[in-house]
Amino acid sequence: MSLVIIYIFMILAILAAIFALECRRLMFSIIGLIAMNLFLWVLLLTLNAMFLAWIQLIVYGGGFTALFVVVVALTEKQRDESFDWKRSVIALVIVAILMGIAIWGVIDSDLSITFGTSTIGESLRALWTERLTDLILQAVVFFATSIGIGSLFIHHKKKHKEETKA
Amino acid sequence: MIEQFHLLILGIVLFGVGLYALLGKRNLIKILMGIEIMTIAVNVVFIALGANIANATFTRFAQIFPLISIAIGAAVLAVGLAIAINNYRHAHSVDTDEMATLKR
Repeated sequence: MSLVIIYIFMILAILAAIFALECRRLMFSIIGLIAMNLFLWVLLLTLNAMFLAWIQLIVYGGGFTALFVVVVALTEKQRDESFDWKRSVIALVIVAILMGIAIWGVIDSDLSITFGTSTIGESLRALWTERLTDLILQAVVFFATSIGIGSLFIHHKKKHKEETKA
Repeated sequence: MIEQFHLLILGIVLFGVGLYALLGKRNLIKILMGIEIMTIAVNVVFIALGANIANATFTRFAQIFPLISIAIGAAVLAVGLAIAINNYRHAHSVDTDEMATLKR
């Protein structure tokens, strides 16, 4: 995998995590969590951690997602309205300080071990020839889960509309 | 070529995102999502540190610790979500400020 593709997946994983936490609708938050797991799954595959990648996809992308969907459906709280500016700003400041210290420590430690292939064409060719089945399976899992969660969401919305009408 | 510390920075940023949810959110489900993101971040750091040797044996060893962490994460999530449902039954809310009603 080339550096560009890995960086894209890293940024997408971070954005998906932020989306999962900041989205008001809890069902969409769960979809963000699945997306983050899928991007990290690709990253783990590139690091040759095949076993852990599959375990993580099955446990996080499957089991945990199902648990979250069941709890959101049971609690019937489809929206998270409890946003507190003061609390969020304080949390952001604390997190920024801690992250700054940690990143400074990592950069200062002079870790410069490299792995992976070098060019984009090479990595895309490797992805196409070696990981095609994995990618197809990933797409199927992602679409099936998204369609399942989406249909649950639509069903709940219809039910809520009928209840408000009644 | 990817540098090892780029992956460590990814782990740190993901850990920070999870920590932000833990400190800044009041919704119990979001907090549990934050805890899961933190667990995933630690797993990424484990793998990043384990993948630095060309010999695949060390990478295999490095995958064992994240497996334990995933198992513990599953237990934590199950208990946390059970508490969330219990809290909703008592207080009709998943807000952490309403959790005092569980004591009654």
